Amino acid sequence: MEGEEIGKRIISVTARELGKKPEQIKYEHHFANDLGADSLKSIELVAAFEEEFDIDVNEEEALKVRTVGGAIDFFKKLLSN
Amino acid sequence: MKLYHLSDVSEPNLIKDIFPYYLPPIIKFEGNIKETIDGKEVEFDPRSVIDRDIHITDTTFRDGQQSLPPYSKEQMVNIFKMLSRLGGSNGVIRQTEFFLYTKKDREAVDACRNLGLRFPEITGWIRANKEDFRLVKEMGLKETGMLTSCSDYHIFHKQKQTRREAMEEYLSVVEAALEAGIRARCHLEDVTRADVKGFVVPFVQRLEKLTENQPEHLKVKIRLCDTMGFGMSFPNAAEPRSIPKLIWRMKEECGISEDRLEWHGHNDFHKVHINGACAWIYGVNAVNTTLFGFGERTGNPPLEGALIELISLKEELMGVDLAVMTQLAGYYQKEIDAAIPFNYPFVGRDFNTTRAGIHAEGLRRDEEIYNIFDTAKLLNRPPKVAITDKSGTDGVAIWVNDFLGLKGEERLTLMKVAKIQRWVMDQYEKEGRLTAISDKELEDQVKLHFPDLYKRANNRESNL
Repeated sequence: MEGEEIGKRIISVTARELGKKPEQIKYEHHFANDLGADSLKSIELVAAFEEEFDIDVNEEEALKVRTVGGAIDFFKKLLSN
Repeated sequence: MKLYHLSDVSEPNLIKDIFPYYLPPIIKFEGNIKETIDGKEVEFDPRSVIDRDIHITDTTFRDGQQSLPPYSKEQMVNIFKMLSRLGGSNGVIRQTEFFLYTKKDREAVDACRNLGLRFPEITGWIRANKEDFRLVKEMGLKETGMLTSCSDYHIFHKQKQTRREAMEEYLSVVEAALEAGIRARCHLEDVTRADVKGFVVPFVQRLEKLTENQPEHLKVKIRLCDTMGFGMSFPNAAEPRSIPKLIWRMKEECGISEDRLEWHGHNDFHKVHINGACAWIYGVNAVNTTLFGFGERTGNPPLEGALIELISLKEELMGVDLAVMTQLAGYYQKEIDAAIPFNYPFVGRDFNTTRAGIHAEGLRRDEEIYNIFDTAKLLNRPPKVAITDKSGTDGVAIWVNDFLGLKGEERLTLMKVAKIQRWVMDQYEKEGRLTAISDKELEDQVKLHFPDLYKRANNRESNL
């Protein structure tokens, strides 16, 4: 899967889960501070990413990711392996 | 001031010699305890508990029953059997005492005795008069407690006697016991409110004189009864409330050895357990207890607390089967309809249940962080979480994984249980719920979201 497609899908899932439009989501956005994701919503986001890419992720590592860009990089690395 | 430098260790120091987890935390001492008595300093060695035969005596059927509706004979027999298993073959629960006044009391004694169990030994309890003593003889008991009240509150205001009259009456009943070959255990009622040097010591010295030439099994025993819970464990507390001073006088001035000394407390000032432990530390071998602390007014030292304390002092289980405590608590609540508070240590419904999400997170990482010892192995009570709006996704993850019996890599992540946590939060935020989520409701959620795992867990359960 191309890196660009992974980025688009991360933004699309983030927008859907957080009730926003994809164009409102920026690479540098912090999930909690900029997009208002509380702790449960952050977990739900990771669960939605798992579902989107049909993959199980390491809980501790995934929950350390704080920004949209961080999530894109995280999944790019994971899916390239 | 001595300057301490941070030890920035690479491995955690979990202080396992004190917190082994497979046992309750160990109690260690680092030196003697000093006490000032009659202006002189005396020392007690608390480390002596390791070698001394410290044990528990039980008064569940006597003092314990005074605060609850009377037990049926069948209930007494069932509790007696469980006490025997709980205390084990070393006799950590050494004796239990019975009333002898009613036909039912006497039938219960016979039924328990006919079980042929070595421990607990059965003893009686009577008032110090010769009519009551007849009951002991008829029942063929080897030892009986007898009420020998010590304070002037009792002697003057209740018994309407002088000190001499009271003492002579008590001594005459002890003499009668000796003649019948029965060991007398004198219960020094209200001793923490008595004139220690003016009555208690002279009386106990006379008692000791009376039995000094008797064989060991007939030598008088002394029960120190803190009838109103006035006893104080603090070093250098004044008499008559000082437990250390009272024990010292019994041993050093009256010649009563530690194996013939017993402590009986009451909880009127929330000091009941620690006062019992204090008595062990300062040289009494037997602490008298009741199951769950049920007893007159505010109750007696709880047997289960004393067991944990004894194990902590001895640094080993001593043959005690702590899981029987859990069974006894269930029996009391179901069969005797006795209420045990939810937060009651060791046996209450929620004693090792956490509600806070931050604690649940710790518990999920390592149960030792928020569990006092291995309660699953020792008490058959694994740590639990109660699910509310405060328990968080970690709480739900623990509940679901434990319910499904999943271990190690199999355990579901926070992401997998997030849907259940969302349902929990909706209950509070959207439905305005104020109560905890029940196990049944959570089970329904597990069935809905993890049908295959639910089925597997159910199959495993039905195969057990």
